[in-house]
Amino acid sequence: MPLSTASPASVGTLTMRPHRRRRSLVGLVLVAPVLLVVGVFFYVPAALSLYWSFTKYNGNTPPQFVGLKNYAFVLTDPQTLNAFGHTVVFALLSMTVGPLLGLVSALLLNLPIRGRVWFRNAFFLPVVMPLVVAGTIWKMLLADNGLINQLLGVVGLDHQWLTDPGTALYAIIATSVWQGFGFETVVFLSALQSIPFELYEAARCDGANSWHQFWAVTLPALRPTMVFVFVVGVIGAFQAYDQVYVMTQGGPLRSTETIVFLLVERFHELKLGPASAIAYLLVAVLATLSALQLRLGKEKA
Amino acid sequence: MGRRGGRPVAYAVLGIWGAAMVVPWLWPVLTSLKQPSDVFTSVLPPTWTLDAYVRVFSLGSFPRYLANSVIVAATVVALNVLLDTMAAYAFAKLDFPFRNVLFGALLVTMMVPSQVNLIPLYRMMIGLHSAIPFLGADTLSGIILPGAVNVFGIFLMRQYFESIPDSILEAARIDGCSEWTILRRIVFPLATPALATLMVFVLLSTWSDFLWPSIISSSEDSRTLPVGLALLAQRNTVSWPETMAGAVVTAVPMALAFSVLQKRFIEGLTAGSVKDA
Amino acid sequence: MKKMMRVCGGLAVTLGLVLAAGCTSSPQPTPGSSGVKPSGEVVLWDYYGESTPLKDIVAKFSAEHPEITVKYEAYAYDAISQKFPVAASSAAAPDLATIDMTWIPQYASAGLLADLGSFSGGTLNGQPMQSAYSAGAYSAMQYDGHLVTAMMDFDAYALYYRQDLLQAAGLSVPKTFDDFVDVSAKLAKGEGSKRTQAVLMPPSVFHFAGALAREGGQMLSPDNTKATFNSAEGVQALTNQKRLLDAGGLYWGPDAGDYIAGIADGRVAMFIDGPYMMGVLKSGAADQKGKWGVATTPYSKQPGSYLGGTGLVIPTGARNGTAAWVLAQYILQPENQELLYTKSGAAPATLAGLARPALTEPDPYFGGQTPFAVFKDAMATAVAFPNTSAWAEISKSLNTAVESVYLGKATPADALNTAAQESDAALNG
Repeated sequence: MPLSTASPASVGTLTMRPHRRRRSLVGLVLVAPVLLVVGVFFYVPAALSLYWSFTKYNGNTPPQFVGLKNYAFVLTDPQTLNAFGHTVVFALLSMTVGPLLGLVSALLLNLPIRGRVWFRNAFFLPVVMPLVVAGTIWKMLLADNGLINQLLGVVGLDHQWLTDPGTALYAIIATSVWQGFGFETVVFLSALQSIPFELYEAARCDGANSWHQFWAVTLPALRPTMVFVFVVGVIGAFQAYDQVYVMTQGGPLRSTETIVFLLVERFHELKLGPASAIAYLLVAVLATLSALQLRLGKEKA
Repeated sequence: MGRRGGRPVAYAVLGIWGAAMVVPWLWPVLTSLKQPSDVFTSVLPPTWTLDAYVRVFSLGSFPRYLANSVIVAATVVALNVLLDTMAAYAFAKLDFPFRNVLFGALLVTMMVPSQVNLIPLYRMMIGLHSAIPFLGADTLSGIILPGAVNVFGIFLMRQYFESIPDSILEAARIDGCSEWTILRRIVFPLATPALATLMVFVLLSTWSDFLWPSIISSSEDSRTLPVGLALLAQRNTVSWPETMAGAVVTAVPMALAFSVLQKRFIEGLTAGSVKDA
Repeated sequence: MKKMMRVCGGLAVTLGLVLAAGCTSSPQPTPGSSGVKPSGEVVLWDYYGESTPLKDIVAKFSAEHPEITVKYEAYAYDAISQKFPVAASSAAAPDLATIDMTWIPQYASAGLLADLGSFSGGTLNGQPMQSAYSAGAYSAMQYDGHLVTAMMDFDAYALYYRQDLLQAAGLSVPKTFDDFVDVSAKLAKGEGSKRTQAVLMPPSVFHFAGALAREGGQMLSPDNTKATFNSAEGVQALTNQKRLLDAGGLYWGPDAGDYIAGIADGRVAMFIDGPYMMGVLKSGAADQKGKWGVATTPYSKQPGSYLGGTGLVIPTGARNGTAAWVLAQYILQPENQELLYTKSGAAPATLAGLARPALTEPDPYFGGQTPFAVFKDAMATAVAFPNTSAWAEISKSLNTAVESVYLGKATPADALNTAAQESDAALNG
């Protein structure tokens, strides 16, 4: 069937025109399942969510239109703003400490040492675990009479890490960093190993010592990777939920509530309007960050 | 230069650091083999016991959770391999109406967090469940269906396909092969390296998925391991051995897979981050 | 090709419509027509925990009613409060569930609970519903003129104490609040979170409500439009609680897990809680048999406690409400109400259940005392939470307020005023 409709110009010009593609409808059939899944399980819910963000809806009685009331509430509600603040702190801290640890460990692993694979695996193993496993493990380690406190208790530094509103959020951040920095280790290591040796040679010829070489060659070469790691990590950190659910359930005193945790809580309270508004605020923030990442990524072509 | 002298320091630092990374695994494993009263009083179990595992497997429904996780992961990986590859090939190598628009529509989904869909998707699954009782809310299909396609996976595979020379495909077409045969005989076999990466990537994100499975499942029948573990850990501070046994059971499959397929795992997770030089 | 695309498109649209339709439909369970014997599957959600009597009752039920299969599903208390509202009006709903009575107004106002009148015809096991319960219980089972729940057990708080430890320290059971502070200070060892032999102090609204009642204060204004828990009585009540915590209490945060852990290892020597803790003690601290006693919660002005309980509800999304009602009635039969007490210590809610002989028997776990008599007194002076659909939010605000005072982050007056502001907004929003 398709061959008879082929345009004459395409036949016999295979070697001249490299990218002539003629199978116009087969392509659509091949992408149809994917489009169906994405359409039904992404676009339809996203549209519904947007609609509900302008209504008062408890999932049972029909939604009532309320205009921008949900957004106004969400942007002024102290609990939501606090959750947003906690999430920002979470993202910033985990995405500075994490990559820092990743960079240091990558630099160490880049040295000519033996057992590199063993160490790399030790750092990377938590990354392949579900976050709830890390959360569960650290919930026990950080318990009031858990291992950490028993060790720190020797020097009198034991503390109620997870039950003190002042420290609970940082305890969760520490858990997340432990779980995730191995990812940065591996990414940075790979980037380090692809820096051309000639750049170091050139710098040494110019009289730079190892410290200068680090600043002049290593860091600039790693810059695109660092940007990537930071932006992707921040986007992930903004969606923090699993560890909060397992370790503190948002407490104590709501000091560890994150945006997504609050969203799910509103869902359980059957306040689907404000929940959808919170979701779209998250969309706005993350879309901005993603766009930023694309822009920064393109810069360093 | 100074580097030779620094190596013992590096070993020392790495040694301590490595040990610090391993202790948070050792401690839970040891705890899971203790009696509850011994948890905080001694390092090694004074009496080694598998009680916690027995409880978790008999009273705690963990066999069910494990089976569910395996079924979900296997099905989602299979669906992704099939659907993502088909679509990626089409986007990379075929021309059809709206190709760029449609690809853009897929890319947009990568920029939007999935949480925006949580609530409507839940209600849609409820509707599906009342229409077709073995699908939808509180069934494994509720977890599998939304995950059947991974747009990042399509993106990855498409990048890979673009590097395949067109000449192979054109040659096959001239020989009279239909697109389906090309797909089956040429494209899929050629894609094996990228497929391996895709499979690992999808496997990891499906196995660890927690938020959506915890919302869509209510009874034990449809809970996956992370959900089962979280429920256990959240309320059970009476019996740490039991909770740790659950954590070990949840972690072991991925740990085993990682130890066997280390390189693939790293490739899978870091795909897209390290741009080719 | 084009045909296939059209089919695909049609399928997509249909699927989308079906799914979208599911969003807005909220089916009501219809009682079966008379004459047809109820049968089929009944899904039961139970939050009782390990000492639940319902498993045994269901086993007996299945033997007597082979035509009804009961699918029993256990949930933790927190988990059910999250899962139930979301599932209740949909096809994922159970057919019968145990629900805390304090959640009833919120669930009923959200349209989650089916009207039991249509299933029961106003009778319970052959008796008119109104005469099966006390007046207070019967009115608590109503919302907006409909019967939305059948109460299964009562909950009111009394003081549990380790009489062996008190005796060893030469102390007597406290009667007034000042006694209580004194005794707890003398009995407790150590400081702060490392205390042992302490009074268990969970920062919960149930305990605050009891303290408030004992000061003669009210939660809300009579017309349920304004918070009054930040009155002088409320501030005094919360100050009292903090005083007790400082003197000899052990703070037990919301995430610290089940109380039984602290009881079993001796960190807790006294606690204030409901009758169902008797069952928890027997199963979780069996080696402390004979060491515990129960007494009225110490008070200065007047005795008081919160009043609550568990109700059986049929959600609006239930598929088999008729069979669910058969099971519910069976659970509420007097012998099974007695089983509630003997297995888990909970106080039966039906009048017939309260008259059962087991409730007046001495209990060896409590050194031969008849603990139920104490709880019966507590129920007589207990005060129910206000019947308003905003109660869930008010309760959360109060929990936060109490928590912040216990953690030393706010004064009772400030904490209660903040909670009052949030509550007024919820009541009138």
